[in-house]
Amino acid sequence: MSSADGDVLPGVPSVGREDLDSMVDAETTDPREELADVDADTELGVEMAEDAKRVARGELTGDEYWAKHDAAAAAEFGDAYRETPNPAVDAGDQTVSTEAAESMQCTVGSMDTVAAETAQTDDGEGGIGAGDEKWGMVIDLQKCVGCDSCTVACKAENRTPPGVSYNVVMEEEHGEFPNTSRTNVPKPCMQCENPPCVQVCPVSATYKMDDGVVNIDYDRCIGCRYCMIACPYGARYFDFGENYDDEVDEASEITSPEYGVDRGKREEKKSPVGNVRKCSFCTHRLERGEEPACVETCVGDARNMGDLDNPDSEVAAMADSNRAFQLKEDEGTDPNVYYLK
Amino acid sequence: MATESSRFKFDFDPGFQSSRLRIAWYALIGVLLAGGAVAAYIRLTEGMASTNLTSIVPWGAWVAFYIYFVGLSAGAFLVSTMANVFEIEGMHRIDRDALFAAIISMVVALLFVWIDLGRMDRMYFPFIWRQLTSALSWEVHAYVAYIGILVTELYFSMRIDLARVADRASGLRERFYTALTLGRDDTSEASQAFDRRWLKRAGILGIPLAIFTVHGGTGVLFAVSKARPYWNSGLFPVIFVISALLSGTALVMMIYVLRTKLFDGESVDPALLDRLAQLLIGFIIIDAALTAIEAFIPLASLHPHEIETWQVIMYGPMSWSFWWFMVGLSWVFPMVLLSKKSWRRTPSVMVLAGLSVVIGIIAVRFNIVIPAQILPVMEGLPHGSYFPTLVEWGSSIGIMAVGLLLYTLGAETLPLTPLGGDHE
Repeated sequence: MSSADGDVLPGVPSVGREDLDSMVDAETTDPREELADVDADTELGVEMAEDAKRVARGELTGDEYWAKHDAAAAAEFGDAYRETPNPAVDAGDQTVSTEAAESMQCTVGSMDTVAAETAQTDDGEGGIGAGDEKWGMVIDLQKCVGCDSCTVACKAENRTPPGVSYNVVMEEEHGEFPNTSRTNVPKPCMQCENPPCVQVCPVSATYKMDDGVVNIDYDRCIGCRYCMIACPYGARYFDFGENYDDEVDEASEITSPEYGVDRGKREEKKSPVGNVRKCSFCTHRLERGEEPACVETCVGDARNMGDLDNPDSEVAAMADSNRAFQLKEDEGTDPNVYYLK
Repeated sequence: MATESSRFKFDFDPGFQSSRLRIAWYALIGVLLAGGAVAAYIRLTEGMASTNLTSIVPWGAWVAFYIYFVGLSAGAFLVSTMANVFEIEGMHRIDRDALFAAIISMVVALLFVWIDLGRMDRMYFPFIWRQLTSALSWEVHAYVAYIGILVTELYFSMRIDLARVADRASGLRERFYTALTLGRDDTSEASQAFDRRWLKRAGILGIPLAIFTVHGGTGVLFAVSKARPYWNSGLFPVIFVISALLSGTALVMMIYVLRTKLFDGESVDPALLDRLAQLLIGFIIIDAALTAIEAFIPLASLHPHEIETWQVIMYGPMSWSFWWFMVGLSWVFPMVLLSKKSWRRTPSVMVLAGLSVVIGIIAVRFNIVIPAQILPVMEGLPHGSYFPTLVEWGSSIGIMAVGLLLYTLGAETLPLTPLGGDHE
């Protein structure tokens, strides 16, 4: 049955690479039409774009490209060009050599410095956790199906080591067949208003930030584990220094920028190894306007994140509803995680 | 002071009477230290992963030994105040023994705190950053102040004899003992009265420090934890202090007999031994009674979490430590040995009673720390289980061997027994 036609599976259209490429070309807008709408010189734009493709194909070096276009670009865009961050400064893997980069007329600094400055102006004066919000989470237990996606998303986002799981789902079955029911209670850190963990820390390494999130300063924590003893929710975990390197190649190569601090590779005896860890409401994501990983991933949309201080927010309305409750309310901890029964 | 020292007759020859016993004892300490060093090396290289601790049971053997030695220290210190503050007749003989044992116990306790830290390199952080609401933050400072008081007291208690010994000695020994007197080499009655006065003052300051902050405070450290109902009671710190007194008295009694026999080569004063033994009876009764009350209140209140914790203690897989060690060795067995007057005056029987209590209280400390962490803090979370690893046992024995070594070196060089006419 082996024939040329035999490779064609029934129901699958037979298309070659050329056909696919031409489909891309058909979708691509005409650069001249596109550039006609802007004030800048159309010919210069097209020429630079074509040369940029050549750089990508290796037909032209980055240095040659900028030698050719730097002056024209400066003439065309003026100050706007000169104040652009220089893409080559401080970047190890650029296509432009240091000499060429320095000779260019756009000299504001590296992309990194410009990006950091932008982030800081967004942030106000206080840095991480200084926001005006009071972050709160509302978890609708009617919507939770007990799929544990939140736990998995949390481990992926925060790259937590074995034995450390900032979010767990407490699952319990009640009753006898056929009259059974199942309760799933997802449990992150409660970010209590009156946190017992903060109360007991001998070195003030864990504290409440302005936005209501309980922080852990991994550079200060001495690893005495008193906070784990004090937490009524079992939300804290000790980092024993284990890792997933046996299961996943290079699992320790990067870590999550928890509380906005990038700690690079996970290494032996380097914090947070030997420290206590817990859910941070994904502070690093909140700071860039994203929801925590568990909230974003929840298949049933059971988890909600928002500002409890803003009476118009959805979480504030839900936390006020008569379905709302907190875990261990009589402990006086006043969690900022609410549940809807 | 020539007339003074010629009038004052004493024979200062501290250290083991038998040199064979000395060699055997140091050999034993050497073996324990070597084993401990191996365990400590594994602890340092592998970190906390070398323990059986988990995020469910984050406190284990090291914490239990830490509160055990704080208790021994506080107890021994309070026994010393019977001599130097309350001036109970005949107790002066054991004043320095008790103080020195209290200092060594505190050193051992702090070594246990240190090895238990996830970040041992940050052990000095509590002196840089503080937290006013943290019992542990206060405790760390209280321990330092308390060690200061103990050293001050031992100095005032022992200085006159150090001066006498320095006066008699020559060369390096003279310089050693003179250095320990801090230059106050006066052996007159007036200087002794001055020392006694300041000893008493330091003791008066030390009593509340030991009861309320050092050991009571260590109990508070646990009792404030509302997440663990088993610890979260007002009686808890009180029991802490009572069991400290129990273990401290037993330790002092044991040391008194052993050091008198093996180092001084003298006979034990049966009246003093009987007095210590009677104290021990009192503390056993109070300790057992308060523990019963502490168990009865939650059981009668049908508090589910605490009932389950007590079930773990009494019928769980580690219940042997409760029945055999806590009830057996620290209460019942010593109580039997203490019951007859003639036994209370027999040194060997009292050493056995003291040893029994000192070992039994270890189980008391383990039964404080571990069971409260076995039950999950929330329904739906897993139960904990814990038994120390070889590394934890080995390093613990090594740290205790450090204490034994320091104690023996001290007992072999310092005039822990009051010289000459200071016997009262």
